[in-house]
Amino acid sequence: MSADTIDRRNTGLMTGLLVVGAAIAVVTFAIVAFALISQGHAAFNMDANVAWGLPIATYVYFALMSSGLTLIAALAMVFGFKQYYPLIKRAIWLAIITLVAGLAVLAMELGHTFRMLWALPLNLQIESAMFWMGVFYLLDLIFMAWKFQMMERGDWTSRLSRQVGIASFIAVLLAAGTLALIFGMMSMRPFWFDPTLPVWFYATAALSGVAALVFFTYLSYGMDRSGMPEGLRMDLEGPLPKLFLALAGITLVLFLSRMTTGLYANAPEVNVVWSDYLLASGWFHFAVWGGILLPFVLLLGRGMRNAPGVQMLAAILVLIGMFIERLYFVVGGQVVPLFKGTWERGLVEYAPSSTEWVLTVMGIALVFALYGLGERLFNLSDSPMAAAGEEAAGGQEAATSS
Amino acid sequence: MAKWGMVIDLDKCTGCQACTTACGMENDTLPGENWQDVLFYTEGEYPSGRMKWLPRPCMQCEDPSCVHVCPTRATYKDHDAGGIVFIDWDKCIGCKYCMIACPYGVRFFADEAPLVEPDLKEIFPGSGGRLWDPPGQSPDQNRKRGIGVQPKGVVSKCTFCYHRVSQAPEGVPDLDEDDPDLVEYVPACVRTCPPKARYFGDLDNADSNVNKLIANKKGVRLKDHTGNRPQVYYLGAGAGIPAFKPKS
Repeated sequence: MSADTIDRRNTGLMTGLLVVGAAIAVVTFAIVAFALISQGHAAFNMDANVAWGLPIATYVYFALMSSGLTLIAALAMVFGFKQYYPLIKRAIWLAIITLVAGLAVLAMELGHTFRMLWALPLNLQIESAMFWMGVFYLLDLIFMAWKFQMMERGDWTSRLSRQVGIASFIAVLLAAGTLALIFGMMSMRPFWFDPTLPVWFYATAALSGVAALVFFTYLSYGMDRSGMPEGLRMDLEGPLPKLFLALAGITLVLFLSRMTTGLYANAPEVNVVWSDYLLASGWFHFAVWGGILLPFVLLLGRGMRNAPGVQMLAAILVLIGMFIERLYFVVGGQVVPLFKGTWERGLVEYAPSSTEWVLTVMGIALVFALYGLGERLFNLSDSPMAAAGEEAAGGQEAATSS
Repeated sequence: MAKWGMVIDLDKCTGCQACTTACGMENDTLPGENWQDVLFYTEGEYPSGRMKWLPRPCMQCEDPSCVHVCPTRATYKDHDAGGIVFIDWDKCIGCKYCMIACPYGVRFFADEAPLVEPDLKEIFPGSGGRLWDPPGQSPDQNRKRGIGVQPKGVVSKCTFCYHRVSQAPEGVPDLDEDDPDLVEYVPACVRTCPPKARYFGDLDNADSNVNKLIANKKGVRLKDHTGNRPQVYYLGAGAGIPAFKPKS
């Protein structure tokens, strides 16, 4: 579908989103860049104890949100659930821009970002999970961009289009799985050490992905489902909130399993992290009970589940809750001091610096700006059914006029 | 080529931190960026509680987890240089994955808020990409092996004073600071240790003093369950660390 068929009713809002988002992204980028130039990485609060802080958590948050969005899109483009077609163009666009935002945040965190561009491909350290994560997320980005470009041309189901969709699904499984294993393979960090960590990452990725999809879809239509194309409206009235509920339930079960195991373990590197760090924080409780359990309860009843306001509330709760969870997950693996003796007698204390928060705002602003841009440039609600419907309507019109 | 190893006798170590100071002077590290440190632990409770301490250089592991995780091969183990683990500062991207993966906490980013005030990075601002320009800095610089004043945005660690050790005559079984012919090649922490609690030699040489000490005095490696297999051995009582228990 071409740009002239874009629903222009909401372009004012989207232009505003683009302009304001871009302005905030530019200003926050300038603030972080100035802080890095003037203070170096002392602008961040990470140290020898907590080497990965808020910027890495933000990257993980966006990268997994992107992966989750692709997993949702895969329901239609890989597994043939055609009712999800009206969602996938928006999902893929969101997957692209959240990954870009995550990478932008990561780039500001690294000590030498540009060195990475040659040092990674020229040294090929295939033993490193981080190397493979880079490879798979790059492939993921390429395949998603390719798939999006095909959908933009109206090619939804050609052989090549389906193959690219399958390729992006495989790439995203590998990318999110490898990202999980960056943490999960660290036997010297028992809080993270878990061969099944990719399962937790897939589930939470899909949950944050569906939440992002619900949030941005309603944002585009001003909470008004009557303005949506029929296919999209039907998705939001049935399959999508059901999927949302199922994912919240799966995540809740997995969380309870992780928490029980963590609290039961004798090893202080696991037990103390759960009892004295995670569950000792009101923010973490909000993330879990407010960000997973409450959305699950809200979506349980059919009437509530299909109400746009409830869906939007559940989506916002999940988006905030998951962000907090990512931060506590990343920092949690490092709060038990590793071989520091009495230099660190208790749990390591870490609070993100203001520059780190500004960097996170930059990532969020970038997502909003690029989403506004996407809505301006493309018809993100497009689907093969809509295209077929238009063709049929066009044919009927032609027949009537003749 | 030798396989350099260190033996630390905890029955002799007084925890004086002379090794830490000598290391900082030799390698131009910032305060708090302790490539070598002495860690103190309290173990047990009243009336049987006790204090223990152990010096901690980089363990130069035989199977170093830091090397496996580094995505750019900036961290590498050089078997032709005594099996020492180095960081190529021209390849390091500052991702800090090695700091996460090192079970011994021996790696430092240092491009961070100062651990000790005043901030020496402000008093002696660095030039040429270096973190700081300390007065009287060591003439030894080798970015490919992470030797010299640390640049911005990279990770640093103990090199077993490779700039000294590498000058030693080929085939010597031990680098003993009491031997006038070898004293200049001995790592700074070993050379300065007042009670002579540290020994440095070739683990591949059956006649080396370090091998005899490990065999005769039951040398152990710390956190051996990690599988990293350090090239640093400890002798005497107290060669182990208590489980973490947060202060109440």
